[in-house]
Amino acid sequence: MRQWQRRRLVGYAFVGPVFLFLCAVVVFPLAHAFWISLHRTRGLATTFAGINNYQRALTDDAFWHSLGISVQFTGACVILHMLFGLCLALLLNEIRFAKTALRVAFLTPWMVAPAVGATIWLWLLEPQFGVVNYLLASNGIIDAPLAWLGTPALAFMSVVAVDVWRGVPFVMLLILAGLQTIPRDQYEAAAIDGAGAWQRFRHITLPNLRYLLVVASTLDIINTIRHYDIIGVMTAGGPAGATEVLPVLLYNTAFRGNRFGEAAAIGVLLLLIVLAFAIFHIRLTKPEQGSAP
Amino acid sequence: MIRRQPYVDGARWALVLVALVMVVFPFYWMVNTSLKPASEIFLSPPAFFSSNWSLDAYVTVLTQRPFARYFLNSLVVTLGTTVLSVTLAAFAAYGFTRFFPRGATPFIVFLLFTKMLPETLLIIPYFQLMSSLGLLNSYFALILAYSSFALPFSVWMLIGFFRSIPRDIDEAAKIDGASYLQTFFLVILPLARPGLVAVALFTFLIAWNSYLWALVLTTDASMHVLSVGVANMVGEYRVQWNELMAAAVIAAVPVMLLFSFLEKHLVNAITSGAVKG
Repeated sequence: MRQWQRRRLVGYAFVGPVFLFLCAVVVFPLAHAFWISLHRTRGLATTFAGINNYQRALTDDAFWHSLGISVQFTGACVILHMLFGLCLALLLNEIRFAKTALRVAFLTPWMVAPAVGATIWLWLLEPQFGVVNYLLASNGIIDAPLAWLGTPALAFMSVVAVDVWRGVPFVMLLILAGLQTIPRDQYEAAAIDGAGAWQRFRHITLPNLRYLLVVASTLDIINTIRHYDIIGVMTAGGPAGATEVLPVLLYNTAFRGNRFGEAAAIGVLLLLIVLAFAIFHIRLTKPEQGSAP
Repeated sequence: MIRRQPYVDGARWALVLVALVMVVFPFYWMVNTSLKPASEIFLSPPAFFSSNWSLDAYVTVLTQRPFARYFLNSLVVTLGTTVLSVTLAAFAAYGFTRFFPRGATPFIVFLLFTKMLPETLLIIPYFQLMSSLGLLNSYFALILAYSSFALPFSVWMLIGFFRSIPRDIDEAAKIDGASYLQTFFLVILPLARPGLVAVALFTFLIAWNSYLWALVLTTDASMHVLSVGVANMVGEYRVQWNELMAAAVIAAVPVMLLFSFLEKHLVNAITSGAVKG
């Protein structure tokens, strides 16, 4: 055997296991999900259903309603993540005292399981004994305790708020790292020219961060639109479907409605939406440089 | 130099502290509630401190509810996933960066796609396959399912770390007569240790915090992991919030402490790729 052939074989031995494993745990289940989306199961009999499941999903008002909720939820969360993330990063970037401790403290919501974080918020928002109602009432902001998860509009706002609480730290961390790559002398030159704080932000910080902000928001859209845990734990899609984003609709269709074919079809449609953003994200970042998880 | 103005600094600190209180308050309330006796949970107004703080709720949760078991389940599944993913990933990262450097890029694109798959779609085939194989409620099924999101992530990150180790080192080892395996184990792995630690930590974090997979793949209450055990308590007829918050502390605080101490590794791992334009 020639040297290069041997070398190639050794290479296969190193990468082979991961390749096979990824096929087993990702590619095969994904293919099986497609297969499920094309079949209908009634009792023990599984029959080929063609595009029936897709037709049913796409003609069902629940799907379009859910898509609308998903768009609103993702839009609201991503905008607020970016806005608060940027503000916090700008504030923290100027602080020298207790830098690491502050950063760790701000990261805590992101270190906790979303399902556990959502559970803590269920207690905070509890209508009768929850501390949020108590604090708002004792400061005169509300007259009577609110059922935060009881009415459609409030429930939507509540799950957005919890997702913002959880999502901001990560964006903040990315922007903070980005801020540190902006050359210090640009600011000093601007200060000598008499630029104020707003002008420095507008003409130095923002242009330098533009790429990072686009990358971070695309990534955030992908992560938010497919997220299940927070809404799954807090409202399971209710009340009256007000928080039923696509992943929650999918879960409810499969595991509450026992309609796996239709759920898989919804999942494939969700995958297509995610894929559009993923392609955009990958073209943007160039895989050699990679991107955040 | 940009002039520093004291009142601007003061305003900045005030804003940071307000934000900090809003971010951290839920955790304070979690700990506060978990330490209260049952009789003080439904007091109005609620107490921000109590002279009756005790660890009773923790004792109840760990002895009369299966949370010690859930902790063990979480630990077994998370450690299993981490060891499996990082080991396989180390081999693959070495293989791709040393043997197929040009093949690494399409492979990374593939990994990025798999990282972005909606988990709600994948749990459907996982549930059907595992139930038809009779593997629901097994560590095996959970570790396999967890590696579907942990493995793409670990491989992707480790390739980045292995790329930063110069190939000259491999050449030098080869000239000294080392085999490929010797080079990998004795030369490259020790050099990649910071990367391995960071990736292992991050894999541990995402696996520990995962919820949906275990929710679907465990139907037997003794096989739940912590996140599922905590969230399930919400559905009980009369929720004992002090016990529920004690369970949340048990689920959340160990990882929070672990990662606070290792924050630097974690932050480097997360931001290394994203900020390079």
